[in-house]
Amino acid sequence: MSYLIDIILIAVGAALINNFVLYYFVGICPFIGVSRRVDMAFGMGCAVTFVISIAAFLSWTITTYVLMPGAPLSKWIAGFFVPADVAAKIDLTILSYIVYIFAIASSVQFVEMYVRKFYPPLYKSFGVFLPLITTNCAILFACLKIMGNIIGVDNPADAWDLGRSLTLAVFGGVGFTIAIVIMAGIREELDLCDIPKPFQGAAITLVVAGILAMAFMGFTGVDSGLQKALTSQAGASTAENKNADINVGMSKFIIENQPIDENIPKG
Amino acid sequence: MSWVTISLSAGTMVGMAVILSYVLGWANKTFHVEVDPRVEAINNALPGANCGGCGYVGCSEYAEAVVAGEAPVNKCSVGGKSCAAALADVMGIEVKESYPYRPIVHCGAHYDDRLGRNEYYGEKRCLAANLVTDIQGCAYGCLGFGDCQVACNYDAIHVIDGLATVDYEKCIGCGACAKVCPRNIITIVPFKAEKILAVTCSNQDAGKDVMSVCKVGCIGCKACARISDLFKMDENLSKVDYDAYPLECSVELMNAVEKCPRNGIVFVGKPSAKDLAAVADEELPEVVEPDFKTTVDDTKWRG
Repeated sequence: MSYLIDIILIAVGAALINNFVLYYFVGICPFIGVSRRVDMAFGMGCAVTFVISIAAFLSWTITTYVLMPGAPLSKWIAGFFVPADVAAKIDLTILSYIVYIFAIASSVQFVEMYVRKFYPPLYKSFGVFLPLITTNCAILFACLKIMGNIIGVDNPADAWDLGRSLTLAVFGGVGFTIAIVIMAGIREELDLCDIPKPFQGAAITLVVAGILAMAFMGFTGVDSGLQKALTSQAGASTAENKNADINVGMSKFIIENQPIDENIPKG
Repeated sequence: MSWVTISLSAGTMVGMAVILSYVLGWANKTFHVEVDPRVEAINNALPGANCGGCGYVGCSEYAEAVVAGEAPVNKCSVGGKSCAAALADVMGIEVKESYPYRPIVHCGAHYDDRLGRNEYYGEKRCLAANLVTDIQGCAYGCLGFGDCQVACNYDAIHVIDGLATVDYEKCIGCGACAKVCPRNIITIVPFKAEKILAVTCSNQDAGKDVMSVCKVGCIGCKACARISDLFKMDENLSKVDYDAYPLECSVELMNAVEKCPRNGIVFVGKPSAKDLAAVADEELPEVVEPDFKTTVDDTKWRG
């Protein structure tokens, strides 16, 4: 149960609360570059989600089995040459960046070939942006975040498993898709607007992105509330009382506010 | 200890390289797509302006259509004849005579000629202004906010005194202006001569109604159509049949032009040598070029 709650929290966190584009401001290049039309933006979002999932799978596997201190594969190989206690301490995390870029570049190449073979129209609409996913920092960011949650934890039992890592990657990609599609929708509307010359193009897009990011700040704190709600439902009896309290509080709030509501002029 | 780490790092990289290159090599073979070498050759022969004048999204799309046999080789108006010849060479076919396609603005009314104009405080774009009625009496004519001027990547169309005017010296015929015009008064026609005839009006209303909104618009009097078969009447509007346009200008045609009571049939196109000679002795104002050599103000202080 707590695992499921963890997964839900990671998913909501990656997609909405700590949105890759709008909270961490990574992956801005395609966010600005391909957000001209909604259908293309959606295609780009899908491609990024796909690549990010493959890259996360690869990076989790490599980090867990090769890179981290005491990883099984490197420990086993080193065990032939040095004593076991020394072998268990061998730390290859310095390789993380180069290995991740390696994995990302390969998976992008793979996706490009796959898309070209089976979805030629999508391949055509991507054009130059598909290879550009290679340098999309959102993907490297996801890999590094996964690494941080494998190596950076104090208790080895808290290290993320493949399920959590893939959840972060997939929902990070979904969050990227949400952000870029919203952006594309806004930019399609912006085409009809009389924008001052210095603001045209990337400038107004960045301004809009900033406002969008502020709007997404509204999700802050949703995770703790969600966690509270989920855990309280898990633990039955006390939760009901709490919910009742909340309900009473809410109805009180609504009743208190009713006269004010009527004073607000309609329309 | 350290040499174990070093060799393990190297081993990791080599192992990844071997595994991933094997996977990619397999994918390359499995997902291989046959590409016609002619597509590449045609792509190289095309100008690469990606203007969309041929009706395809970009040069590479047009190249694919040519190889597939869906498009003729002479569609590229930017590359012109030499490009068509190069494409025909790649495809191994003979190229027929091709004419450059250029836009014609089917409106001849400047601000003074348009009647029933009202103040417009909205967005200064044709697309927006076209949604509003009564900006000017004529619901067909040029609005003069210059959407076409913005759309043109070649600085070849300008709004002069409220009327979009094509600069045929610069125009390459991509058709961006025709696509963007909300009133569809710009058409792309084959220029069989340097200068060709055009009816500079799009108003399809009856003559009396045209008179009430415009000083120069076509009133549908059929005078030109009676003299020459080249002019066809369509909804109270004379239209030039460009498919039947003669290569040499005939006397009959000139009579039709002169007969037009509104002087609405005019020649458009590049100025010929004769035109240039005609204005040679006229004193034209010199074009003043801005001089950015220095920003220092050398006017003396006379305080």
